[in-house]
Amino acid sequence: MIEVNEMPQRKVLAAGTAAKTTDVKMANYVPQAAGPEQQLPAIIRADRFSLYYGSHAGVKDITFDIYPRAVTAIIGPSGCGKSTFLRSINRMNDLIPNTRAEGTLCVNDVNVYDRRINLANLRQQVGMVFQKPNPFPKTIYANVAYGPRLQGVHGRALDEQVEQCLRHAALWEEVKDYLDRSALGLSGGQQQRLCLARALATQPNVLLMDEPCSALDPIATAKIEELIISLKDEYTIVIVTHNMQQAARISDRTAFFCLGELIEYDQTKVIFTNPVRKQTEEYVTGRFG
Amino acid sequence: MKYALRQTADKLFTVGALLAVVLIVAALAGILLPMIWRGSSAVVFRGTVEFRRMQMEQFGHGDSAAVNAELAQVAPIRQKAYEILDRFSAGLDTTELVSRIRQIHRQFGAQLTNREVPPDQYETARDLSRMLRDELLAALDAPDGALALPHLDAVLAHDQDAALKDTAAGAYFDIAREYRRIATSVDLPRREEYAQSLAKISEAMKGLLGPRPGQPVPEGGAMQRYGATRWDQAQQQLDQLLWDEQWVSQGPGRPLKKVLTPRAQQFAGTPLAELFPYVQQNAAAMLGPRWTFYGRFFTDDNVSSHYFGGVGPETLGTLLVTVLAVVVALPLGVVAAAYLVECAPDTHSTRALRTCINTLAGVPSIVFGLFGQAFFMLYLLPKFGLRRDSSIIAGSLTLAVLVLPVVIRASEEAIRTVPRAFREAALALGAGRLHCFLTVTLPAALPGILTGLILSMSRAAGETAPILFTVAVASGPVPRSLAQPTRTLSYGCYDMAVGDRIAMLAPHNLFGMVVTLVAIVLLLNAAAIALRGRVARRLRG
Repeated sequence: MIEVNEMPQRKVLAAGTAAKTTDVKMANYVPQAAGPEQQLPAIIRADRFSLYYGSHAGVKDITFDIYPRAVTAIIGPSGCGKSTFLRSINRMNDLIPNTRAEGTLCVNDVNVYDRRINLANLRQQVGMVFQKPNPFPKTIYANVAYGPRLQGVHGRALDEQVEQCLRHAALWEEVKDYLDRSALGLSGGQQQRLCLARALATQPNVLLMDEPCSALDPIATAKIEELIISLKDEYTIVIVTHNMQQAARISDRTAFFCLGELIEYDQTKVIFTNPVRKQTEEYVTGRFG
Repeated sequence: MKYALRQTADKLFTVGALLAVVLIVAALAGILLPMIWRGSSAVVFRGTVEFRRMQMEQFGHGDSAAVNAELAQVAPIRQKAYEILDRFSAGLDTTELVSRIRQIHRQFGAQLTNREVPPDQYETARDLSRMLRDELLAALDAPDGALALPHLDAVLAHDQDAALKDTAAGAYFDIAREYRRIATSVDLPRREEYAQSLAKISEAMKGLLGPRPGQPVPEGGAMQRYGATRWDQAQQQLDQLLWDEQWVSQGPGRPLKKVLTPRAQQFAGTPLAELFPYVQQNAAAMLGPRWTFYGRFFTDDNVSSHYFGGVGPETLGTLLVTVLAVVVALPLGVVAAAYLVECAPDTHSTRALRTCINTLAGVPSIVFGLFGQAFFMLYLLPKFGLRRDSSIIAGSLTLAVLVLPVVIRASEEAIRTVPRAFREAALALGAGRLHCFLTVTLPAALPGILTGLILSMSRAAGETAPILFTVAVASGPVPRSLAQPTRTLSYGCYDMAVGDRIAMLAPHNLFGMVVTLVAIVLLLNAAAIALRGRVARRLRG
């Protein structure tokens, strides 16, 4: 079984299974010390990656690299395959029957569509925040603790981890006295930040965000955006958004998808000021899409 | 115009819907309220001293000193009624008198032999005795008082005969005097009629007051041992006592007509006439009715197949069987539903399976009963060393199979309606499918699953046919293990309703049983609804 970037906590649990399988052990991803981001090797690499729903291609022939410790935005009109690509990275598309992948999609140099991949491990490494806030109908504490508990964290360590994640998600001050209340009692923005805290609690390297602000009001959106910017020092963030201003505000790089194909991928300021492709220019200026 | 039409249609729809609701409520009230009213009379009623005596003797409930004191208090009042009855019935029962007269004659003959009376005196004395005997018998035979009197006078003429002094023959004159009194006061030709009526009166008296003190305890169970235990029963017995009921033919092909005549009128002029006003006025004093709350109805065993007592073992059996059935059916049903929703591929066979489950929900329950008998009782359980006989476990398993489709349907629906977002979130955090189901999907689906539980519990508690062959008995000891049969409320109701005249004699007990069943179902439901409410509130936050 292939472990992507095995976690320290995970080692104890996985030790038994790891010995038996034809393991391709990956070294932990060690980000190099500060420097220009271009020097860091890409953490997610898509190489001629296509995903088919039955016979229809959701995305086709995508080739691009996503760099760590940066925010990468994926923009494009509806139905262009942004979400499909994003959900391929942690293989959430498996829930849809009759999907088929071609090409390679590597996270930390491990092909996620390898049959031997340890899905649980992959999904712990690649956290996800969904379009609509979807906290579990459990207490706030139980929501954040869900991931760590899966990894076998208990007791005081769990309490600390929950607190730390809630602080990271800038939610701690608002909910610290109500940890045993149902998460469904929170406002939409708070719920989305809770989902973010929950995703952070598995200690991932990559955070996938599928239009995280589309169901929120501008104030809650601003908070999430702030949060994303503050988190990019530690995490690799891939965000799908319909909101081009948002992409321009928070992302370092932007990919423009159209009709399942990657049209253009470059530094955000290049995409928004001086795109190479005409299609991109029309889209970002609002003449198309 | 069109707008007005649409508004009218809307209003009509509202009125129609309201009417339907009102109709349903009225029908429910029309069925339930009388049932509850009659059933509640099993628990709250005016109990007589006979009831308290029965409770003390049969169940050991109540204060024996107080009951005995009460019995002692009513005894003299009852005694007077018995005396009136005795005084009248003495003259009517001529067969006894005839045998007594013949006995006197034999005794007298024996006395004469013992005293060694000279032969001539012996002859005259014996002839005299024979004459007196025949005169008396003739008087008793006489169809009319006027015809009997000369015979009696002829007997009484020998009242002072020296030959008969201090002999057994003296008893002739007592009988003659007593009978003379009757013959002058009672209408002798109506003697037959009186005798019949008297038997009915004695029966009614027995129903009202129980067997007479001093008489042997009648055979035939506790039912015969007590008078009217309830004031409403006492009223019925009193009616029997006070009114003569006759069915008169109204001609060929027409129904008989009931004619009620007061017995006081029937017996007017006889010594018995005073019995009726006496009993009527003193009925309450003789029985001491008092409002009673018989809470032990729900825990007491019954006596004389539900003539007395309560529904304790039935209640226990119903609870046991129902809860056990649900305990078996719930995990099975949830696992099956989980498979159908989470794992089963969308193929023809899965769809066929689902159709089968839906069809199973509509199969008549008697089929399940026969299946349970054939499979669980006769085949499966004997393999585990149980006897091939009805047992709680066989019945519960049968009921579990019966409610399984309902549980599966409800659980499937509940699991299916859990938002996909929850599942996705759990999977995205690295949870496995089983873990995701157990920690996220199942808790979120719990309210819906509990709804299925409520439905199945009500069904299991009320079913009669499936337990007919597998667990239920009409009477028997309280089960000591799950391998024994038990009584249940549903089967008890059925048995009582179709069984014999007990349902007619003690309708309150039948309805009490029905209402207990309804109450149990409602209680179980209330518990499940409260549980569901708690779970749902916890989910909602």
